[in-house]
Amino acid sequence: MSNLVDRITAADETLRDEPLSRFCEGAGLNELIAECRALDAFRATSENLYQRVRAQLFLSAIYRYYLPDLLDATRGASLPYDGVQLLLDRRFEEAIRRFQQVQERDGPSESIASALAAAYHHLGFQTLADQVRRSVRQVRGNRWMFRMGHPLDHPLTIHPALLESASAGYPLLAEATPVRMDLSHSGWSDIFFLGMDYPQGARVLNVSIDLSVRGHAAAQGAGVSRPRPPIQTFLRVIDEPLLRLVSVDLKAQADLTLVDDVFDFGRDHLGLLKAAVIASGLIPAGLEGCGLALGPLLARVIGKPGHGLELVSSVNNIPRGSRLAVSTNLLASLIALCMRATRQAASLTGGLDEKERRLVAARAILGEWLGGSGGGWQDSGGVWPGIKLIEGCLAREGDPEFGISRGTLLPRHRLLGPEEIPDSARQRLQDSLVLVHGGMAQDVGPILEMVTERYLLRSGREWQARQQAQGMLDAILRAFRAGDIAELGSLTHANFSGPMRTIIPWAGNAYTDLLIERVRRHFGGRFWGFWMLGGMAGGGMGFVFDPTAKEEASAALGEIMTATKRQLETALPFAMDPVVYDFAINERGTHAELLNGDDALLPDDYYTLCVPPLLRQPLSSLTRGQRHGLEVFGKATRTQPDRAPLAAVLLDHLLPQEAAEREERHESLTPLLASLSFDEGLHETVRTALRQGRLGLAQNSLPSAWRFEDVSAEEIVDARRPLSPAARAIGEDALRAGAAAVLTLAGGAGTRWTGGAGVVKAINPFIHMGGAWRTFLEIQLARSARSARQWGSRVPHAVSTSYLTHGPIRRTLEETSNYGYPGPLYLSEGRGVGLRMVPMVRDLRFLWEQTSQQLLDEQKQKVRESVRAALVQWAASAGEGSDYRENLPSQCLHPIGHWYEFPNMLLNGVLRTLLAENPSVRHIQLLNVDTLGASLDPDLLGQHIDSGAALTVEVISRAVDDRGGGLSKVNGRIRLVEGMALPDESLEYRLSYYNSGTMWIDVDQLLTVFGLTRQALADPGRVSRAVRETAARVPTYITIKDVKKRWGHGQEDVFPVSQYEKIWGDMTALPDVKTQFTIVPRKRGQQLKQVSQLDGWLRDGSAAYVESLCDWG
Amino acid sequence: MDLSRGAGTAAASINSLLGDPRKRMKISKGLITAAGEPHRRIPLQTLVDSGGVTRTVLSMLVSEVLGSGVERVCVIVPSGEEAVYAKAAEGFGDALHFLPQDGPPGYAQAILRARGFLGTEPFVHLVGDHVYVRGREGNLAQRVVDLAAEEGCCVSAVQPTHESGIGRFGVVGGRPLANRRFIYTVDSVLEKPTPTVAEECLAASGLRAGYYLAFFGIHVFTPEFLEILERQTAEAPEQGATVSSALAELARQSRYLAVQSEGRRYDLGPKYGLLRSQLALTLNGPDREELLASLVELLSIHSAPDGRPSGE
Repeated sequence: MSNLVDRITAADETLRDEPLSRFCEGAGLNELIAECRALDAFRATSENLYQRVRAQLFLSAIYRYYLPDLLDATRGASLPYDGVQLLLDRRFEEAIRRFQQVQERDGPSESIASALAAAYHHLGFQTLADQVRRSVRQVRGNRWMFRMGHPLDHPLTIHPALLESASAGYPLLAEATPVRMDLSHSGWSDIFFLGMDYPQGARVLNVSIDLSVRGHAAAQGAGVSRPRPPIQTFLRVIDEPLLRLVSVDLKAQADLTLVDDVFDFGRDHLGLLKAAVIASGLIPAGLEGCGLALGPLLARVIGKPGHGLELVSSVNNIPRGSRLAVSTNLLASLIALCMRATRQAASLTGGLDEKERRLVAARAILGEWLGGSGGGWQDSGGVWPGIKLIEGCLAREGDPEFGISRGTLLPRHRLLGPEEIPDSARQRLQDSLVLVHGGMAQDVGPILEMVTERYLLRSGREWQARQQAQGMLDAILRAFRAGDIAELGSLTHANFSGPMRTIIPWAGNAYTDLLIERVRRHFGGRFWGFWMLGGMAGGGMGFVFDPTAKEEASAALGEIMTATKRQLETALPFAMDPVVYDFAINERGTHAELLNGDDALLPDDYYTLCVPPLLRQPLSSLTRGQRHGLEVFGKATRTQPDRAPLAAVLLDHLLPQEAAEREERHESLTPLLASLSFDEGLHETVRTALRQGRLGLAQNSLPSAWRFEDVSAEEIVDARRPLSPAARAIGEDALRAGAAAVLTLAGGAGTRWTGGAGVVKAINPFIHMGGAWRTFLEIQLARSARSARQWGSRVPHAVSTSYLTHGPIRRTLEETSNYGYPGPLYLSEGRGVGLRMVPMVRDLRFLWEQTSQQLLDEQKQKVRESVRAALVQWAASAGEGSDYRENLPSQCLHPIGHWYEFPNMLLNGVLRTLLAENPSVRHIQLLNVDTLGASLDPDLLGQHIDSGAALTVEVISRAVDDRGGGLSKVNGRIRLVEGMALPDESLEYRLSYYNSGTMWIDVDQLLTVFGLTRQALADPGRVSRAVRETAARVPTYITIKDVKKRWGHGQEDVFPVSQYEKIWGDMTALPDVKTQFTIVPRKRGQQLKQVSQLDGWLRDGSAAYVESLCDWG
Repeated sequence: MDLSRGAGTAAASINSLLGDPRKRMKISKGLITAAGEPHRRIPLQTLVDSGGVTRTVLSMLVSEVLGSGVERVCVIVPSGEEAVYAKAAEGFGDALHFLPQDGPPGYAQAILRARGFLGTEPFVHLVGDHVYVRGREGNLAQRVVDLAAEEGCCVSAVQPTHESGIGRFGVVGGRPLANRRFIYTVDSVLEKPTPTVAEECLAASGLRAGYYLAFFGIHVFTPEFLEILERQTAEAPEQGATVSSALAELARQSRYLAVQSEGRRYDLGPKYGLLRSQLALTLNGPDREELLASLVELLSIHSAPDGRPSGE
């Protein structure tokens, strides 16, 4: 009998809730493997969804965290390419079978364990997502929308009141919807998966609020703005046979004429409006792919041929990432509006009844799924009025979830009226709470996934914290009822610093900690507590103050946040400047009214967006409705004082302005290029080659006729086994003698770490270690400090930078006194830059269609493909191969690859200085800033010295996520090969070893390769020639990187751009460079490339290992 | 003991043992509403019925009502048009009684207009803008009348209707009566629902997905129904009560049954409603072959406007 299967199926809660770790930590290899077999058999046959998922995540965790420690690390196994391909194609069951076959055949290995862990993990989350999707479709009231397959079957008709036209224009239906904030979500218990499996633990205290951005109205010259429902949506009939969607705040407008246009979510910024149109039943989901025109369908719904609908959304300057569920409530508002208009709600105007609110909430979930996003079940709380306790519900007979999950998809909303929370308590909360947006707009998705995983594994501390968080909600509710806001503040603060951060350490960050500390210092006892809004801190947050301090605090917080952001903005991804809100509790929920005649006015920004194109046409070509709209607007600007300034704004929009702005951007970029080492000649050469097809992604590859073979452990040094004592002695002597220096490469943009946000990764405080937030660079120096102490020597540490990273790194080192590093520290500034280019359509297609990529979940993949189609169009229209200048200057430049980082030390004299000041240095350990476990190891150094190699490269055995080349025997010679240089993708998975990016360099031998000596470093001309000539011996690659363009209120678009680079690993291909390769353990060699790796890195002991290598300054 | 709320067969058998006077409720009056806007002229339209006889819609409806055993029929007509309607329903002698709807407009008001005629008796009611094609069961109204007489309660004929069409009818939700095929106890009634609401409130087991029990246009109403309708109208004179809202209340407080008809109803109101009705009547009668030949000929002559062969 299986211990773990028993645990999953146990009726007794105590046994069922026992952490997985309790069993695994004491189990032996054979025992774990037997458990894996039993769990796999169980999950394949179990009919209970949650038991199945729990077994899948148990399996994932065992393969990821427990099995590898028990394996013989030297046992190599390559990954089957077809299995990896199945994994990328989301064919998880087949991938698992394939990996199991290899495991049966070759025995368990780290590589296969990593692949199985990934496959089970994906399968678990896919199973859960599928279930939510099924439940959403099965909600009564939603099912018909999936059945409807032909426009002639469209069952909805427009409300007759929307067709009553006194003149040429039709009435305007306007919906105003608040957003929601939560006082406590009991440890993210509103995640669907949790709510459905653990309804008794799913509880949220949720408040609907109106908002305004403090100071915004004043800045616009419009006096003081009062909080109002931040979401406004509008619908009206128009005399054009199309669906017009307008997002006022995103400044986007589109006229849709085909049914399929409505399902094209990624093409523009109107995906949310399209999702609402579908989820409301206006264009039912069953019509997807019908290929028909919208005109006849709209005519049927409206009952008037030649007519259509206009749907407008407007959000009151609330930036993205507010943690107030703006997008879900906007979706809900649009859905409510469309439902009222098509008579699916009893009342056209006013509030909604409970049944309708629930249906709107269910459809908002459907809309989020359609649009490829996702939230929790409390997010549509703004649809309900005032304060409510939202709780999970047990599934009963008759519910679609009955027999599948313990809880229902939709929770129960219990409104807490004045008898439960008196008006005075509500007022006190409003008098004490300062709501802010800290400026960070992070993706909360990974956090929700981590929470779910930990819940299913019942990880010990986290499970206890979850219970504690539930108690917190009750305590918060008690304090609120009593109107004791000081207590409430201290509870929300304790909730954040206690259970929340125990469950997810990443819920907070260095920025929020610094803010809290500064606010506390400034306000002392008048600061009652911090309040994390929503999924994580950094964006929307709350600070609770003594009411006497609120006014002062509202002003001071803006300054504190802005100053803190300025200090950290090169290190952390901020999307915008922080803002402070004014807020008020909204006691009526979503609410609609019908506006007629001169009152049928849309928000000001609608007119600045939509009127200029109309004015550019002859009046005679406008429809009656358009002319009428202009008349109403014109009259408003003449008769309503608050609309009067619009005329001037409109004129501004009519005059050519963009060209001037673009010119301004170009003008700031050009001097920047001149101030850096931008090689215009090279740039033009690359551009020409790119356009002619001589350079490109497909051209990066080596000839396909070459032989690429895997390298066995016997052919190279395996440092996972003990090396010779003689080598260690040599290494120890060298370290004592100060013969080793370190070069940390910190010039790269760290694109993958922040998704192209342009933050300096080296100084990103990403982990709380040794009692403080630590950056990559700090860990690098702390490691050198420990080595220096251990060996009683100096460890000269050089850090190579680039145009993007130099300034911020220099400033940070100055401010922190080199993070307390006692040894010599050198900054090697790299000034070489390239100018990014608009990619060739050919390269985009190659990247997206011909290279393997992780397929996304069905709807997300659809959205991704739609976005990519739009980006291909963008590249074609912007001019393939033209300069990319439509962004901040720093986002238009790129470093030209880390090959240059060592040569830069020659060019800028840093190596010369380093050697002059530390003449005993013979060897340099070169490593990436994100390789944190690679200490100055005496065994490895000694082995390197003993071998007489110019370069010793550290490699690790490949895990499933290690992509981008590896160690290969190319035509018989062992060398590193970049993934993009391999002529066939499948070759990569035949390569057992992956480049860790760490190398030991024999300085003098490498200088010889460059044709230099220590003395020759004094001759800049000779050095420059040497670098140029050596550079010519290594290939240039074209790569495509993502770059973020920020706009509006915290909005971000990601563009693919072309750039070129040279790679240091290609030095191993030069025949005159004597190179050897050493296999090192994964904990030493792994690199942190993506934030999503962090949690696993923390949990698998890697973080603790790194910490053991460090001496904090 | 209120037997009228018990299960159908059990109640019926107990009633027979006790000799309950409600068994065989007598239904001798009929009501046809024909004054409704915007289709007030529809009952005057001439069609060829399933027997191949050319006659007005009104005449067909009156035949249906009288065929159910009813002795007298009241027709509510637009004010001042009694003579035109009387002419359209010639040949029924004294059985017909025409009343103008000279008070407030609306369907519910039309029924209440006949209050004097109906007195306190149950009656069969047909709407004036439908025609019916019979199935195997013969007279369609007869079945409703028989069931109502047997059960002593209101009965409405219903037809499973696809969700794309329910926006034109009143729709009921209910549970099948044990051991009685095609008979339902009605729980809820809504007028012209959207599928969104229908899915939530109007489910009836035994139907295909996406189908609901929509009114067929033939009902037997009891005096209790009229009382509710009257009261609701008095309580909310502005909005006016609807037949569906009165039936919804009736369903909450009394036994109310729906019977699925084997025939088909055709609504004359919508675009091409008249044409479809005529086609349905003829396809069910002696001229079927002749009509099919005409249709084939028409199809072969007229290709689709965009040049595609017809039928695509």
